[in-house]
Parts: sequence; structure tokens; C-alpha cells
Amino acid sequence: MIDPEELRTRARDLLEGGQVRAVIGYRRGSRGWAAEPVVITRPEEAQDLVWDPSCVHNLALYLVQDRRRRGALRESTDRPIGILAKGCDARAIVVLMQENYVQRDEVYIIGLSCESSGMLDERKLAGAAEGIDPQALEAVDFEGDAFVLSSQHQQWRLPAAGVMAERCLECRNPCPKVHDTLLGKEPREQERRGTASAPTMSDPFAELQRFEQTADSAAARWDFWSRQFDRCIRCFACRSVCPMCYCEECMVDSISFTVTPDTTAQEKANRLRWIERSASRSDNIGYHLTRALHLAGRCIDCGECERVCPVRIPLRLLNTKMERESRERFGYEPGASVEVAALLASFRDDDPNDFIR
Amino acid sequence: MAEDPKTPYEPRIVAFLCKWCSSAGSDLAGVSRIQYPANATPITVPCSGSVSPQYILTAFRKGADGVLVSGCHLGDCHYLEGNYLARRKLFLVKELLEFIGLEPERFRMSWVSAAEGAKFAQVITDFVADLRPLGPQDKLQGQRP
Ligand code: SF4
Ligand code: SF4
Ligand code: SF4
Ligand code: FES
Repeated sequence: MIDPEELRTRARDLLEGGQVRAVIGYRRGSRGWAAEPVVITRPEEAQDLVWDPSCVHNLALYLVQDRRRRGALRESTDRPIGILAKGCDARAIVVLMQENYVQRDEVYIIGLSCESSGMLDERKLAGAAEGIDPQALEAVDFEGDAFVLSSQHQQWRLPAAGVMAERCLECRNPCPKVHDTLLGKEPREQERRGTASAPTMSDPFAELQRFEQTADSAAARWDFWSRQFDRCIRCFACRSVCPMCYCEECMVDSISFTVTPDTTAQEKANRLRWIERSASRSDNIGYHLTRALHLAGRCIDCGECERVCPVRIPLRLLNTKMERESRERFGYEPGASVEVAALLASFRDDDPNDFIR
Repeated sequence: MAEDPKTPYEPRIVAFLCKWCSSAGSDLAGVSRIQYPANATPITVPCSGSVSPQYILTAFRKGADGVLVSGCHLGDCHYLEGNYLARRKLFLVKELLEFIGLEPERFRMSWVSAAEGAKFAQVITDFVADLRPLGPQDKLQGQRP
């Protein structure tokens, strides 16, 4: 288990020694036990850093923001930015490097292994156990494969698997593969998954499999998805939170199209709008299928899009579907390596061909 | 929609045809006077690899009953790799469309060379036959104002 104090010392040393210009991490938020992302630049701020099961956010998003900000200010730098990275955050950073969005020497990755645990799913917690009022909690902590929840007067110890985020239950790489320094250990398979007779975690793609088993016809799937798509209000929270959605101009969102003082009214009117911003069923389908395809081979299943959706659209299903097909048919694993060619920029002679006439 | 045996539904197909092969193949079918249904609207593209998934989604969203993408045989692509890249990309499009519940028959790919007029006619004939019983595609289509 990672001692948060060790993490603070590591971050403080890096800032003090001038090896990094800032550290992206988590601190205690304004809402009780929940952590929030933070960027610290002074060594004394390192004492605010936390590491616990509420560190759900994918911090790679703030790496994207950092690059954007530096780009806008034309700010050059000779020092990397430090970033805490769980397994999933590190996979996201790998994709960003693979796509040349950030360079390896621009980041200093402080890897954090989730070991035999993962992150807390707040929605699961709400109904998890008698007598726990999530509002009254003051802290959540790791303890092996359990979470310890504390309020002012009481403590509960819950098996983590019962209240863990679904993506963490299915996670294959809780320990970052690419890092500059690592806290915590690579869990052994058995620590992570238990035994066949007493499994603690789910199989990868377990939720997708459950869905496919219940909705096993085109009609049943359409029945399910048309309801999901109808509910989407196109708030774009799923896109905003996704570290892989870094395009300056997003084809599903006409207000992101670049407008300069020189853009004429005619040019604006003539911009091709494949998908309107309106939350109609057809435009929503256009949005979600486009997004799923743009994330194929890039989504590293941090589950953030699904977590932030205000109307609970099961976005992970779309993304893990693409991920499973890519893995099974093309042998491609997103976020595994900086060197390998991107999924859709490469091919193999034995890619599936039997669907073609 | 139920099929009326007397006036079968005439599906509308959007066919993205590579100009180096399938488009020429469709011309050959024409000049050879091979009879095949006139349900397909051909759109000539530079290469099957240039077909963005967006073209396919948009065709469906504008009311196409079926979408065909047809390119050169593997190894014959004018740009060497275009059809290999298309195959991988459009496989995912196909999987995704099926995943959300579109009938699998509605999206199709074929390799048709400039010399294969008869094959082109067959592809379209089969496609129309498979689409007819499904009736109009109204899942992805937007409401017309
Ligand atoms: S998805 Fe994996 S790496 Fe990410 S928080 Fe969950 S267990 Fe950790
Ligand atoms: S977060 Fe949910 S409601 Fe908002 S755009 Fe995404 S799917 Fe739609
Ligand atoms: S699509 Fe969702 S799960 Fe995938 S990387 Fe983006 S936010 Fe994470
Ligand atoms: S040129 Fe015909 S498929 Fe590429």
C-alpha cells in the first residue's frame, strides 16, 4: 500500500530540486472526503496532496490543459511537468505520447499502483451498506482489498469490490507500465483477482458481456440504445472530461470551429456541419458513434465519461465494445506502448475479411 | 414496416465506389447491359480508404436504407494500403452499428475490380434483395422538418 506521506515527500523533492515546474495531483476537496485535482508549483504545497480511493479523476486531462495553456501563451519551458498517474492515467499519457501530443521529456510520471484495489464509485456507495451516510463521511482510505470509510464518530470497513468503480473491477493494468518513479507494487494476478472459486474482481469486459447476454438481438439492442441516446442532453461533459478528446475543433460541435476576425459570414455559414448540436435522437447518435469511433484504439477505459454523465448514459459500453473488437480482431491494446503504430493507422494481412463480399 | 407483397419496398442505397475499380466496374456493368436494380446512388471516391465513417453515418442519418463501400481487391489499391486501412476502420463501423441495434444487413463492403461488371451487378442485386424485407431504415434517420 502506498503511504501518502511518501508521495508528498517525492513531490516536494521534485519541486525543491527544480526537476519539475509543477506537479499535477489530488488534494482534499471542498466536499468532505472527495479528492479534487490540483496543480501545485511550490514545494510547501506538496503537503496538501492526497492519495485515496476518491482519486477518480484522470489527471492526463490536466496535461492536455497544460499544453493548451502553454500553446496559447507561447510559453516555452525547459522543465517537465510532474504528474501522478494511476494505471489508467498512465495509459492515457502513453496515448498522448504515441500521438505526439506530448513528448516523453515533457512529463515526469509519478506512477501510483492501485495494487489489489481501485477507485470508489460514489453511486454504488449510496446504496452499499446500512447506516452509511455518504454526506457525513470525512475520509476514505485503502486497506488492502477493502476501503475504510470514516465519519466524525464512526468507521466502516467495506470489501472494496462491492463499491468499486466498474472499470476498476475490470482493470488489467492497475500498475503503470510507463513511469519515471513508481509508488506501490505491481500486484500479482491472484492478489488482484482472487482465485477462481473466490474471485474479487470481474473479468475484463464483464459489463459488456452482461449487456450482450441480456440484449442479444438487434431489436433488443436498439430498444436499449435508442432510450439512452434520447436521454442525452448534449452537455458535452463526457467529451470535456476525456483526455483523448483534445481536438481544438471538434466536428460534432460547431461552436468549436475556429473563428478569427477575418472569418467572413459566408465562411461561417458554409462550414460543413456533419452533426448539429441539437439533442435530437439522430444528432445524438451521430455524436456518440462518432465519438466511439474517434476513441477506438485510444480510449484507455478510465471511465471518466460515464462517471460525469448527468443522465447516466452507459458510455463505457460503447468504448469497451470498440476496445474488445480491437483487442480480439487486431491484437491491439490501447495505451500499452508509445512506439507501436496507432490502431487505425496500421493493419495486418489477416485482419477480418469475411464480412466483405 | 410490414412488407406488401404486391409493391415491394424499394430500398435506397448509397454506394461509395472507388474510382479506380468499383466505379469502373459499375460502368462496365452498364455498358455490358447487365440488368440490375437501380436502387443505388453511386458516389465516386478516390479510394475506399478515403471513406470516412462520417460518410456512412451521415448517409444513414439522411435516410439511406443501406450503405455500400466498394474498393479494389487487396493488393490492387492504387494507393497500396488504402483498402487495408479501410477494411480495419469500416469493420469497426460495422460492429458499432450492429452493437446499437441497426440490422447487420444494412452496411456492406465489397471488393470489385474494373473488370468485374457482373460481380458489381450481383453485389447490388443481393443487397437490394436483403434490404427489401427490412423496409425503411428509420433508426438513425433524423426527423425531417
Ligand atoms: S481503472 Fe485500473 S488503474 Fe485506473 S483507477 Fe481503476 S484500478 Fe486503478
Ligand atoms: S455527458 Fe451524458 S448527457 Fe452529456 S453529452 Fe455526454 S452522454 Fe450526453
Ligand atoms: S472515452 Fe471515457 S473512458 Fe475512454 S479515455 Fe475518454 S473519458 Fe476515459
Ligand atoms: S484505390 Fe481503390 S481501394 Fe484504394
